[in-house]
Amino acid sequence: MKENLIQILSTFGYPVKLQGTISQNEKYPDSFFTFWNNDTYDGSHYDNDAISFIWNFTINFYSNNPALVNTVLLQARVLLKQNGWIVGGKGADIPSDEATHTGRSIDALFIELNRGDENG
Amino acid sequence: MARNTLKLDTKGLEPLIKKLDSIGGDVKGAVNTALTKAAQTIAESTENAISTTNLPAQGKYSTSATKQSIIRDAQVKWDGDTAWVPVGFDFSKPGAGGFLITGTPRMKPDYELNKIYKQKRYMNLIQKGMEEIILNSIVEKMEG
Repeated sequence: MKENLIQILSTFGYPVKLQGTISQNEKYPDSFFTFWNNDTYDGSHYDNDAISFIWNFTINFYSNNPALVNTVLLQARVLLKQNGWIVGGKGADIPSDEATHTGRSIDALFIELNRGDENG
Repeated sequence: MARNTLKLDTKGLEPLIKKLDSIGGDVKGAVNTALTKAAQTIAESTENAISTTNLPAQGKYSTSATKQSIIRDAQVKWDGDTAWVPVGFDFSKPGAGGFLITGTPRMKPDYELNKIYKQKRYMNLIQKGMEEIILNSIVEKMEG
């Protein structure tokens, strides 16, 4: 599912990184996405097995351009929904480590049917 | 309410609240108790999470200011028929630890706080605790 998320976010042309993976000495890109898998839990069950899995991700967009911060995450929200993701709300401001950058964050869910392959 | 403050509300409790209301129970009292106790539990869990030695960035964010920014003794607010209570960190105070929940590009989210605020399991337990309080009010009222 991570691959699917990265693929969708990458269409915007900005780097997509796992939250917390930019090193202390590394410069922030001008604009970029980060994501974090908060939880992956069973949907409903049948015959002692999960019928589906629910993936819960937080998706963040950071930029040194405040206008982009406000628009790109909303565009990502639309694209994620078009690709079967469930996105609640329109996000919230989040802090960054750099005074030059601001960020916004949304949570998104994806319901994956259990096909028995156990691959993420 | 400070921007980005997390809140716990009565969504999910409506069927029980309706039932309590229909039998003339003290809806406001039961909901206030349920939300207040839930908020206290979350505050305690948050403090415990902050107190661990496993905070990201070698614990450099685990300052006393961060602990001070945990919302305690929160008051229940009512908007018409729905109620909510602020939980988590007070973002208006210095050292607020909201970034520990979300992480930053240079800092992974704190695992213990992530479990409380972002994972389903913990909030399910909180929800169950609130349901139990409302349910007890229904039973008490019905039993006279």
